Order: sequence, then structure tokens, then C-alpha cells
Amino acid sequence: MAEISGSVVKVDHGPKVRGEARFVADYPMEGILYGKTLRSDRARAKIQAINVPELPMGYVVADARDVPGKNGVLIIGDDTPVFAAETVEFVGDPIAMVAGPDEAEVERILREIEVEYEDLEPVLDMRKSEKVFYEYGYEKGEVDKAFAEADKVYEEILQTGHQEHGYLETQGITVVPLAGGKVKVHGSIQCPYYVRKALVLALGIEPGDIQVIQDVTGGGFGGKEDYPSMIGARVAVTALKAGKPVRVVYDRREDMATTSKRHPTYSVYKAAVKDGKVTAMDIDLLYNAGAYTTISMVVLQRGTICSNGVYNIPHMRAHGRSVKTNSVPNGAFRGFGAPQVFFAVEMFMAHIAKDLGVDPVAFKEAHFVKKGDKTSTNGIFHHGVPLPQMNEKLLTASDYWAKREAYASQPKGRYQRGIGMSYSFHGGGFTGTGERDIIKAVAALQKYPDGKVEILTSGTEMGQGLFTTFAKIVAKELDCPIDQIIVKLPDTDRVPDSGPTVASRSIMVVGELLRRAAAKIKAEWKDGEAQRVEERFQQPEWQIPFNYDTFQGDAYPTFSWGAHCVEIEVDTYTGEQKVIGAWACYDVGTPIDTTVVIGQMEGGFLQGIGYAHMEQMNYDKKGRIRSNSYSDYTMPTAADVPKMEMHLCVEEYPEGPFGAKGAGELPLVGVPGAYVNALEQAIDKDFCHIPVTMEDTLTHWREGGQA
Amino acid sequence: MVNGYAPQTLREALEIKRKEQVSPYGGGTDLMVDHHRTGTYLFLHRIAEMQEIKQDDNYLRLGAGCTFTEVQEHALTPPILKEAISRIAAPAIRNLGTIGGNIGNGSAKADSVLVFFALDAKLRLMDADGERIVPIHAFYKGRKALDLALDELIVEILLPRVIPTRYVYHKIGARAALAISRLSFAGLWNVEGGKITACSTAFGAIDQVVVRIPEVDKILIGTPVAELDSVKERYLAAAGEAINPIDGRISAHYRKTVCLNLLDDFVETMKKA
Amino acid sequence: MSIPFTLNGKPAAYEGSATDRLVDILRKDFKCPGVKVGCNEGECGACSIIMDGVLINACMVAAGRAYDTEIITIEGFRETEKFAVLDRCFAETGAVQCGFCTPGMILAAECILTKNPNPNEAEIRDGLSGNMCRCTGYNAIVHAVALAAKEGKGLW
Repeated sequence: MAEISGSVVKVDHGPKVRGEARFVADYPMEGILYGKTLRSDRARAKIQAINVPELPMGYVVADARDVPGKNGVLIIGDDTPVFAAETVEFVGDPIAMVAGPDEAEVERILREIEVEYEDLEPVLDMRKSEKVFYEYGYEKGEVDKAFAEADKVYEEILQTGHQEHGYLETQGITVVPLAGGKVKVHGSIQCPYYVRKALVLALGIEPGDIQVIQDVTGGGFGGKEDYPSMIGARVAVTALKAGKPVRVVYDRREDMATTSKRHPTYSVYKAAVKDGKVTAMDIDLLYNAGAYTTISMVVLQRGTICSNGVYNIPHMRAHGRSVKTNSVPNGAFRGFGAPQVFFAVEMFMAHIAKDLGVDPVAFKEAHFVKKGDKTSTNGIFHHGVPLPQMNEKLLTASDYWAKREAYASQPKGRYQRGIGMSYSFHGGGFTGTGERDIIKAVAALQKYPDGKVEILTSGTEMGQGLFTTFAKIVAKELDCPIDQIIVKLPDTDRVPDSGPTVASRSIMVVGELLRRAAAKIKAEWKDGEAQRVEERFQQPEWQIPFNYDTFQGDAYPTFSWGAHCVEIEVDTYTGEQKVIGAWACYDVGTPIDTTVVIGQMEGGFLQGIGYAHMEQMNYDKKGRIRSNSYSDYTMPTAADVPKMEMHLCVEEYPEGPFGAKGAGELPLVGVPGAYVNALEQAIDKDFCHIPVTMEDTLTHWREGGQA
Repeated sequence: MVNGYAPQTLREALEIKRKEQVSPYGGGTDLMVDHHRTGTYLFLHRIAEMQEIKQDDNYLRLGAGCTFTEVQEHALTPPILKEAISRIAAPAIRNLGTIGGNIGNGSAKADSVLVFFALDAKLRLMDADGERIVPIHAFYKGRKALDLALDELIVEILLPRVIPTRYVYHKIGARAALAISRLSFAGLWNVEGGKITACSTAFGAIDQVVVRIPEVDKILIGTPVAELDSVKERYLAAAGEAINPIDGRISAHYRKTVCLNLLDDFVETMKKA
Repeated sequence: MSIPFTLNGKPAAYEGSATDRLVDILRKDFKCPGVKVGCNEGECGACSIIMDGVLINACMVAAGRAYDTEIITIEGFRETEKFAVLDRCFAETGAVQCGFCTPGMILAAECILTKNPNPNEAEIRDGLSGNMCRCTGYNAIVHAVALAAKEGKGLW
């Protein structure tokens, strides 16, 4: 293991463990108004009137009419209104914001506002939606020919449900109006520059008049990527109207019922098999975007590109659509459109293997892509693919073959066991040429006369350890102790835009800019002087440009790899499922701090377990989310998992700092496939959906089978 | 204090309850979920006489103000009750929540209440003028409908001194901890001279109140263990007639099936024991 | 007419309504922002504090319930030798990620070890089961508590 991979005490450990770290809700409220959001209780309706009661002194209500700029939150498109004006499009759609000095009084006013609606028929089933937000497709090889020549053709429908981020700290933002029409924003924010960009449009002021600062952030997982832009715009409009600072901190139920989630999907997979191998796939994907487009475009792109999983499918066609429904807009969530398709392709491959009478692991292994192979979009796997070694490692660690065989012939009893494996990758960075053409990352180092060096990027620390790993990269390159490096929460007035903290790009892309900046500053080092160095992103020369129209080329410069094994026991009398063993092996290139990387792997893995069976979120017929609390939306507790055993395999990425590549999203992406495959073995039943419920795994039904 | 009383004696508490409309506050773990900062609370945590666990000739007497943790850790507590409590929420909630509060909340999902039903517990209720003792099954008249007057408090839970020694307990929740029961089952029995001499079952979270089926339990009583197979089918058929769960987050069909599966396993366990 | 209690070793009194949530009072009136609000319904443990020697959720407590009790929050506990051990062990295993659950986790760990200085893994997991963490997958936290039991031998 490389020297840099050794572990240090995280730079943000002290204040957090001592309870001294300040989250947005921890700042004293003196002089700040409490803001609360008035929301639609209809899934789809015209707004006829908003009747506001007489307001006491010091209280304001802001709505669409108060938006000084455009009434749209700029994300990719700007169709998400700051406040709903003509119509409401989902239960929870914000209509207005009430702000004032006393929280209870604000709540009273909120209750007394009457909104008159004319109800419209909502569309809640994505399959019935006629509004297509985005549609992509591509083809490689000769798909129709391969199907025509197949020995056997398979077809399966695979579905995935919502997933809620469940970050421990709910969303929250404070906006402070400053003299001269400027505003200062601080809060629980994953992407400060996104918030600034959104406020430019909504407030109609210049970027330089908007300062956005990240507060210590209690988890994000994608949930604080686009959403803070929406809250930020709403709070800013309200604060400007009030002429006073306003803070909004969501309560848990509001957060769960109204903020973005993982897109549910409905996928149709077809495969042609010849001589025991899959020669072609024809894939049709449907993503439920919810009411507004937010970032569904990029989520769908990633899903469509990854839809064949880690398998070399010579002939394939993929087609994806992202459609509108009258439900909460779905957005970014760790994996970003990929967990849905990895679940689908892993199950599909396992089911084909079962039909062919071979073990799924052997079948899948025979299809693994390798270095030099073409990707789904006719790009190239430029770097080593360590899947076979990772697979071996896990088969041994989990004792897969012995267990698989033993469970295949276990006597039918109340408790039955199964074991399953799955594989995944995650392409680091923005899709295609996004890093070069859209993000254009800039990172800087500021050296002070005392020799300390400050890292200046817009990268945010949300618990993933970024400040620590950034500091380690710079310290390593400068060959100095880590305490010589300063990392602060990003402030758009002080840091260049190094891009959003998303897409498993921060270490791989921004970390490398920092490493280069550190090398430069070291080369030009002048004792006792202040120096500043900036580095800009350059796309590797070998990367095949990606064409967004044809979906051809390198969608990602390189990939991180994952293999997972899950062992399960099912109580067939009750359908209760229990994880009794969990193993994974990941390749994220050189780990910049093994403890940080393992922490990401374990956390992501458990989110994947939750996604597979525990975490259920559904709408009722009126479009209301019923599981809107930590009690009803059940995420795993410490008692729900055994010790997870994580292994690392290192395939260095030459363009990443010290060989590192993307890590954050990978560990969640492929987990459900292993989980469900284990379930299938335990109760000898095939599944094509997640989450798999207790009712799904109860096998001893009485009185005429399953309801 | 403002909007609350924290008396040190039961007598004081009952006088307050007679004079004023106050919500009795045991552990607060249910009250605080739907908290609206209104009303007046009668805090019971300082009343030592409501926090005792003791036994007399007839009963094991559990003070209604005992927390789940206190009951769980007490030497006199029946093992089935300890096990049921171990599955309630998580330690921090068990440290606050009281068994009196679990009963007073009136939910059919309350995990300790299931066991109190299975054990035919009685409740000692008091007002400022006196007391009465009510069997728990009579105390629950429906969901959130209790045989409790406005000026009364639940003071003690009385468990029979002699209870069946063998038991099965099973709780189904959405996860291993912090889980509200989706279905819970308690079954107790005794074997003497090779025969089942006592049998008592209860089902939680399948209807508005905990379900008991004493007439079905009777089928097993008197049956030699060796002959359980011969009555099992009749027993399960009778249980199938008697148990009719309602639909909820999970289907009535699932609930019914699982109840019968657990009873099936209950009989199998009796055979093995 | 006030509600007297002991907070982090010092006498305290609350003059407001007995029905107010203890977590809000601790955060606002007694300047203990280390007590976090994650759900306000007893399902996450971010607001864990120690009351009369046991772990409780401060969101599940009305002010009047604090009458005559002894309360310890992270603000008080962080001054102890036991905290220093837990701090080191949490650092060592990387048990702190976003940090929002951490003060509650530290106090849960303290209560586990107070009750049982040599807990096994299942006992640690049960002891932490009311404290939700979405970042770590719990491995590192469980490991930290086990490590603290070893390194802090004699303290608990």
C-alpha cells in the first residue's frame, strides 16, 4: 500500500466529536427570523387564490409575486419554480414562505393561510406519463442480427423504488440581506456555486453580489446537491422582502416528504444468448423524474450508459426516458442513476444463468469486461479491470462456493439461507466531456508568509473525509506535516469554482489539481513570502471525446470497481430477512487514507442493503408520501447488520493524485444485486424488484397463496 | 412550574387529577411524538410508590411508573416480559418509557401490553377516593378507548404469582431495533405429567386491541404432548376462525398467515420441549 | 415556579413551560448546541443525553420531566477522562464522518461502557441501536467502542 494510504486523524474530527462543530441550526437565532414553507396539499391543481390572514408586525409572507428575478430555480433547466405560481405539481410543492421572529406564531400564520385550488387529475404512474423530459439512446454492434442468430432470447422487467437520503441533519439555509442589495447565504450545502448560480437568476443580481458559505454539513449523499438551490432561492426572496436574515431548517417529516429522492425505475431488459454467452442486449429504461426536471437529465445519462453493467456485451442497444409525474422531483443520490440499472442487469444475468443451469458467479465472470474492451458507448476501458482478482478475494473471504452448495441442498425448514454476489463499476467525474466543457474546474493554493498553505476549492466536507484527503494530498506533495495545511469550509467570496462535490470527482479531478498546484508551489517556494498558485482542469489526451447526441465515446475516463457478497437468513414463516454475512472488495485506485476510504465503503454498502429491502417509500392515491418519518421509513440501525468485511484492491489511475480515482458513490451502486441474489437462493424464488418486502419473502402462505 | 405538576406522592397526584384536566406523563415517549406544547402535564417520575416492583401472596406488582429498563433488569420480572421489553425501540427509549404509559397509550402495538394480555394481568386504578382492579382485557375497549375515568391513574400492573413457565415470543418489526410492531406474538404453556396443563396466546398489532383466543387455547389444554399432532389441525383451524386481522401497512392476509404460521411453530415447539 | 435540575454538574432552573421540549431548551436556553435535533420523535438518537445516569433522547422529554434530575450533555462530558479515551478511539477507527450523530454516539458509548465495561459486539450494537448513523455503516463506531473498552480499562 502506498505511503499516503496510511491513516491520519481526520482534520475535522476534533470539533465534531466534542459537539463544537456548528451546523446551520446551531447559530444563535438573535436577529434572525424563522422561515416556514407553505406547501401544496394537492398533487396537481391550479392555484386560484392565496388568502393570507392579517399579519402581525414583523411577519412577512413571500410568494411567486415577490421573486425579483425569474421565478425559476436554475439547476440544469429552470422549470422548478421558486414558488408555485399558476399550478402546483406535487404534494409539497412550495407556494409561499412565512417568516417572523416567533416560531410558534409563524406556524400559526402558516396554518391560517388558505389556498384555493382547482383540482386537476394527477399522473402518478410513470408508465402512464405522456410528458417525456429527456430521452437518450445509443447502439453498438449489430443488435438485430445477434437476436436473430440467438439460441435463446430472454426478456425481463425489473423495477426499483424510491430511496431517501436520510442524512442525519435535515436541510437548512440562512440568508442574510446585506447593504446594496447583496446577500450572504450559509447552510447545509453540497455545492455552494450551484446555490449562487440559482440566486443570480431568481434574484436578478450579479454573481459578485451573492456570497455562499458552507456550514458544517450533516451528510449529503446527493440530497444536498440541487435542493439547497431551491431552499436558498426561497429563503433569499423572503429575506429580501423582510429586510432581515431568515433561516429555514426543515423538520424531519417535511424533509422526507418534500426533498429529492432516488428515481424509481421500470426497465425492460432483453438478451440474446448464443453458445452459453450473452451476445446482445436490448434495454429500455424508464426513470420517474417527478414534477420538475432538476437533474434528471444527467441521472438518466449515467443510467443509460451503465445499463449493461460490468459485462462485455458486443451488441447492445439502450434507450432511456425520464418522465414527469406529479410527485416529488427526484434528484441526485449516491450512484446517480446507476444503482437502478446495476440492480437490473445483475438480476437479469443471474436469472439467465439459472435458466442455463450455471452458477451466476461463473456466468457473470465469463462476461466481465477487461482492459482494452469497448464500453457500451464504444469508448475504451483504458485501464486495468481488476474484477477477476476482486472476485477471487471475495469468494475466498466469504467461503462462497461451500456455502452456495450447502444452501442449495439445505432442508426446507423455517429458517433458510442463501448467499449471492454482484459486481459494479462507477465512472468517476462528470459524464463525457462535462469536466472540460461544463465544469472547467479551478483549484488554488495560497501560501502564507509563515509557510502554511491554504487549500482553496469549492469542495465541501459532508462527512466523506474530503478535507482530510485534500490536506493529505497537498502535504504529501509539499513533503510537510498535515498541520501546515489549512482547509476551511468553502466561501464563494474566497474560493475558485472547482466544481460541485458530486460524481465521485473530488479526489480524482480536484485532488489532482491540488497535487499539481502543490508541486508547482514547491518548485517556486520562496521562504517568508505569500504565494498563490492556480490549476485548471485538462482532459487527458487519450480520452475519446464523448458525443452527447450519439452517445459515442468515453463516457468516463476511468472506472472504479466493486464486488459484493451478501449472506442472508430468511424466516420463511414471517418473511423476515436478516443479513448474516457481508463482504465487499473495492478498487478506488490508491486510497488517499485507508480509514477514510473504508468508512465510505462501509457506509455506502449499508445504504445499499437498506435500498434492497428495508427502505420503502410509496405514494398513496392522492400522491402523498406516507413513509415520511424515521419511524416509517426504516433505515438500518447498528443492530441490523453484522460486521461488514471490506477489502481493497488497487488499480492505480495515472491521472489521479497518487493513483487515486473516484470512491464516494461506488460502494452503494452494486449491493442490491448481491442481496437479492442471496434471497433468491434462500427461498428459491426469483425477484425482479427492490425493495423486497417481508410479504415478498414469506413463503408459507395460507388460504390460497399470496394475496 | 408552568403548565405542569411534578408531585412526589400518589395522593398529591390524584388530588391534582381530580381538580384539573392534566395529561398523566409517564415516560413521555408517546406523548412527545405528537407534541403541540399545549395542555398541562402531570409528571409522575418523582412518585416513588409508583416505581416499586414487589410481590405479595397473589401478585407480582409492577409500579406503573417503572421504566422498561427497570422492569427488564428486575430479578422478579418474568422472562417473557424481559424478552418483549428487549425488543422495544432502543435503550434510550426504554430508559424513559414506562409500563403504565405503554398501557395508557391504548395501542394494540404496545409490546409490553401484549405480554400483560397473555398473562391475564390486572390493572390497579386509583382516583382520590379509592381504587379498583380491572382485568387488562376489560380495560381495553377499543383503539385508544380505555376504561379509565378522567380522574383516575394507572397505578400498578398485577401479574399472577404463578404463570406458565414455558414461552415463545416473537416480534416482527421493520428492523431489529427502533421498530414498531407489525405483528407480535406471545405464547405460554406448561407441561405436567406429559400433558399440556396451561396454554395462553396473544397477538399484537393485528387489530384495534391485542387479540386473545382463550377458547382456542383450550383445545391444547389437557392434550398429552405426544398427541399434539392429532389436535394440531383442529387447533389451527379454530385459530383461523378466531383470528381475523385488519388491513394496515401490511395486509390482513399476511398478518393472518403469519399468526397461523407462528401458532403452527408454537405447537411444534411444544412437541420438542 | 421554576424547574430545577443539574446540568453538567451545575445547578440550573428553567422558568418556561413544563411542556416545552427539553432538547429545545438545552440548545437555546442553556447553550448546549452539541445536542442535535435529527427527528424530534425518538427515532435517531442525535439528541441523546444522560439523565440520572442513563441514556435518553432529549426530544422525548418535556421540561417538567427534568425536575430534580441530573443531566449531562456532550458539553459536560467532553471535559472528562472517559471522553478523552472515546475521542481517541473514535479518531483511531474513523468513527466520525458528518459528525451530526457523533455527540449522541459518544454518550451512547459512555452508557454502554458504564453498564458493561467489557461488552461484546452484539451488546455494543444493541447499545447503539437507538442512534442512527447514515454515513459509517456503524462498523467504525462499534469498533471504537470495543477499542475504548480495552484502552480505557479501569475507567468504566
